Amino acid sequence: MNNNYEMVVGLEVHAELNTDSKIYCSCKNAFGLEVNSQVCPICMGMPGTLPTLNEKVVEYAIKMGHALNCKINGVCKQDRKNYFYPDLPKAYQISQAEVPLCENGHLDVMVDGKVKSIGVTRIHIEEDAGKLLHDDSFAGSLVDLNRCGVPLIEIVSEPDIRSSAEAKAYLETIKSILQYINISDCKMQEGSIRCDVNVSVHKIGEPFGTRCEMKNVNSFSAAIRGIEYEAKRQIEVLENGGTVEQETRRWDDVKGESVVMRTKENANDYRYFPEPDLLTIVVEDETIEKLRAEIPELPNAKLVRYVNELGISQSDASVIAESVDKANYFDAAVALKKCTAKGICKWLLGDISSLINETGIILSDFALTPEKLADLVAIIESGAISNAAGKTVFETILQEGGEVKDIVEKKGLAQNSNTDELEAIAKAVLAENEKSVADFKGGKTNALGFLVGQCMKASKGKANPGMMKEIVARMLEEQ
Amino acid sequence: MELYNKSAAELSAMLKNKECSAVEITESVMSRAEAVDGDVNAYITLCKESALEKAKAVDAAIAEGKELGALAGIPIGIKDNISTKGIKTTCASKMLENYEPPFNATVIDRVNANDMVITGKLNMDEFAMGSSTENSYFKKTLNPHGLDRVPGGSSGGSAAAVAARECIVALGSDTGGSIRQPASYCGVIGLKPTYSSVSRYGLVAFASSLDQIGPLGTSVKDVAMLQSAICGYDKMDATSAYRDYPDFAALLSTDVTGLKIGIPEEYYGEGIDAAVKTSVMNAVRELEKKGAVVKNISLPSTSYAINAYYIISSAEASSNLARFDGVKYGYRAEDYDSLVDMYEKTRSEGFGDEVKRRIMLGTFVLSSGYYDAYYKTAKLLQRKIKQEFADAFSEVDVIITPTAPSKAFRIGENTDNPLKMYAADVCTVPINIAGLPAMSIPCGDDNGMPLGMQIIGKDFSEQTLFNTAYAYENIMGGNLCKMPEIK
Amino acid sequence: MNIDIKYISKLARIKIEDDKFEKFEKDMQSIVDMVENLPEINEELTIDRNNAMKLREDVAETNKFTRAELMKNAPMVQAGCLVVPKTVE
Repeated sequence: MNNNYEMVVGLEVHAELNTDSKIYCSCKNAFGLEVNSQVCPICMGMPGTLPTLNEKVVEYAIKMGHALNCKINGVCKQDRKNYFYPDLPKAYQISQAEVPLCENGHLDVMVDGKVKSIGVTRIHIEEDAGKLLHDDSFAGSLVDLNRCGVPLIEIVSEPDIRSSAEAKAYLETIKSILQYINISDCKMQEGSIRCDVNVSVHKIGEPFGTRCEMKNVNSFSAAIRGIEYEAKRQIEVLENGGTVEQETRRWDDVKGESVVMRTKENANDYRYFPEPDLLTIVVEDETIEKLRAEIPELPNAKLVRYVNELGISQSDASVIAESVDKANYFDAAVALKKCTAKGICKWLLGDISSLINETGIILSDFALTPEKLADLVAIIESGAISNAAGKTVFETILQEGGEVKDIVEKKGLAQNSNTDELEAIAKAVLAENEKSVADFKGGKTNALGFLVGQCMKASKGKANPGMMKEIVARMLEEQ
Repeated sequence: MELYNKSAAELSAMLKNKECSAVEITESVMSRAEAVDGDVNAYITLCKESALEKAKAVDAAIAEGKELGALAGIPIGIKDNISTKGIKTTCASKMLENYEPPFNATVIDRVNANDMVITGKLNMDEFAMGSSTENSYFKKTLNPHGLDRVPGGSSGGSAAAVAARECIVALGSDTGGSIRQPASYCGVIGLKPTYSSVSRYGLVAFASSLDQIGPLGTSVKDVAMLQSAICGYDKMDATSAYRDYPDFAALLSTDVTGLKIGIPEEYYGEGIDAAVKTSVMNAVRELEKKGAVVKNISLPSTSYAINAYYIISSAEASSNLARFDGVKYGYRAEDYDSLVDMYEKTRSEGFGDEVKRRIMLGTFVLSSGYYDAYYKTAKLLQRKIKQEFADAFSEVDVIITPTAPSKAFRIGENTDNPLKMYAADVCTVPINIAGLPAMSIPCGDDNGMPLGMQIIGKDFSEQTLFNTAYAYENIMGGNLCKMPEIK
Repeated sequence: MNIDIKYISKLARIKIEDDKFEKFEKDMQSIVDMVENLPEINEELTIDRNNAMKLREDVAETNKFTRAELMKNAPMVQAGCLVVPKTVE
């Protein structure tokens, strides 16, 4: 991007909630079933039908509000957004206009090791629309209404995002929070989480430019590509002496470009007004507080804690924090304070992650409990056993179970850290390998490795490798 | 006397005493309908077969000694905007000419649960928009008391059918007077219940915040019985009130001693015919003689109510009727070359002029830049009107006004002038705006055409309304609803 | 205020025939002139806390309606779907 410019991005994320029933009727909230099979007169918008609001939708939205540090409006209402489209059977969407369920929040994300706070304007509840199916073999479009009435929350950010990296961090954090508090399945390929993107650019030091809204962004990676494309396009327009028009554009991820959908003059006039079929949503303070108490430590907070307090690298910390299972396991092991967090991290992202990938084990019923891992790391870090012996303990626990200490003892895995004994071994090995000693003295430093290796072999692998190396090096210097 | 000319309460007693059968009642009503409906045109769909079947089932149940409700076997007509499973529900519109709902409205489930016999679906102004039933796509219903006159609207079919005894009782819907004004014009009794007391589930919406289904009949007791049958909380209607209701008919009383009646000057001013004012005040004097106390009151915002009403009801209608787009049900235009073209032709061909006017007005008042001046101001006025009524009800028990400014007007008299047509609702719309219960009962005539008085109560005070009406009915000898000579 | 029938009819997806336009516009304007006679009320609309609704319990019910029943009234159906003129936004 042209260095004279800065981009300003705001994001609207739509997430489908994983409730059992739809938002305004008792139809099953399910994906991928036969067309028009999860439909009733209500979600089909038949004359005379009325909506009834699902209490779980309100609760889930409030939980997200807590997670994003929002003010919760325990007294609010719903409004109708009117427009004609075949996937919207009532020709209005029940949504929230003036007063959303949650507002004025913020989300802290980590970008390049630094914490960035992004404002959250509002979170409101609304219903999803159906789907249009297109098939060249038929002259018309087909309408499947299964998705009508699937509950959505719309999370609107402030225009606080200044780079595609920040946008990426924001989107990924939102997604992992939705999973942490278990209110959305976040299946991108099923469209259960989607976003609209607002982008403007301006010369650094100058006021904000005119923004364009981009629709049809179906994945987070598409959002990043779309943002970069759009910023570049707007800069080009400005550099060529043009002006950016306020318009709605459609992102075509295959072609990697956006095209105009409608201009400002043709902006929709949605004629919002209060939904007369629903009364006031009233959530008592007690319930709001109860829901707040249900929010666990969230991935973005964990990330900051891992990096700043535990000294984990941002990339490792992200991998752990993004997964509820890994983070829970990690936190449990670290909390025992038996060993370093870095040591836990190394095993979790190394051997344990490989095992998860290979065999699909579930951490919550993994034979190597967080306690056992902490014991294992602690015993390695104390020098009592080697890393190689540690792997043997690890495998033994997976296959046979047992306690770390018992296995080390039973298998005789403890390392030899006795200076006198190790010096005796070194002395013997050096005496038997005069040529290598001479090589070392002649400047071939890799002879050291060979000699240490011979010593380890002589100790049947039980020598403390760090100590062994130190002793051999010292003896070579002294000779 | 023919069975069709009896009240539900009388027929119920006869059934109980085995003086007649449910089939005989239904046959009597059906042959009456067949005899006079060629003139009256109250029915869009007459359900003779299913009615007789239901009547037979009721007789069988009686023969088995089953305990049935008081309304079992009573023929009831249903306004054609109330969804009936498998029976066409047209809203008197070309748009829904062939629409058969796959479900019953909650009130229909309750009617069925009470073993009532549904006689058919009754004519109305298209989508309940109108005051004369002349806006029906199918036919014009005539006033049984004078066939050159309108029955009122929009529940004109319901009122005319009850008046002509083509059914014993009927259900209508009332958004701005659509039960009370035709009841007044046709000389029958009609109740617009407290908003939220009767489920709207299955009532094809006109203006959701104002619509209420209510009963019509020829005796106060019949209307009270039917109201007890249909009211009550419904989990399918989020606006329905979570509360219990008394057995209105069982608690009827003619004692009006000490009843405080408010007479609001704004309802007796210019624009109200002298004959109407005289009849209503004569009725009030009769109640006063029986111990009621009459008090003059004021409801200052009354003249604005009709404006607020047309803004709010049209705004909601414009949104409620947007679903009629030719995609899921109902009419679709024959030729079109795009989605937008299909929408526009379908809606332009499927809706009548009055419906189009309301949709356009509603779209306008909600459109960008106009919302505050119209919709918001109307909602603020609504709050004020509610408060004025609440203040009035701290001093009086009921308020009595004319139901309509005049007797029924002639067919075609107002069709070219929407504003004159709208004026027919001037006495009834404030009550919908305030959400209150009100009933219209006959209180005299103007050259043979019935006139009605409106009794208004505070929220959920239906029992007080029934008792006031019952007292007046008793004063007048027990029968307020004269049988018309249909000519 | 003047009502722009052309704009409103586009929003409402209702076309007014040319030969009816003039009369329709006149009627609409007279209705607008009538309803805009409202007093000035300098208050704000508030959400009424006392008008709370009961929310529905989140229980999915097995569908009581077959697709055929629900589609019975549809003007055009193909492959279990409603059919509209080809539409891509």
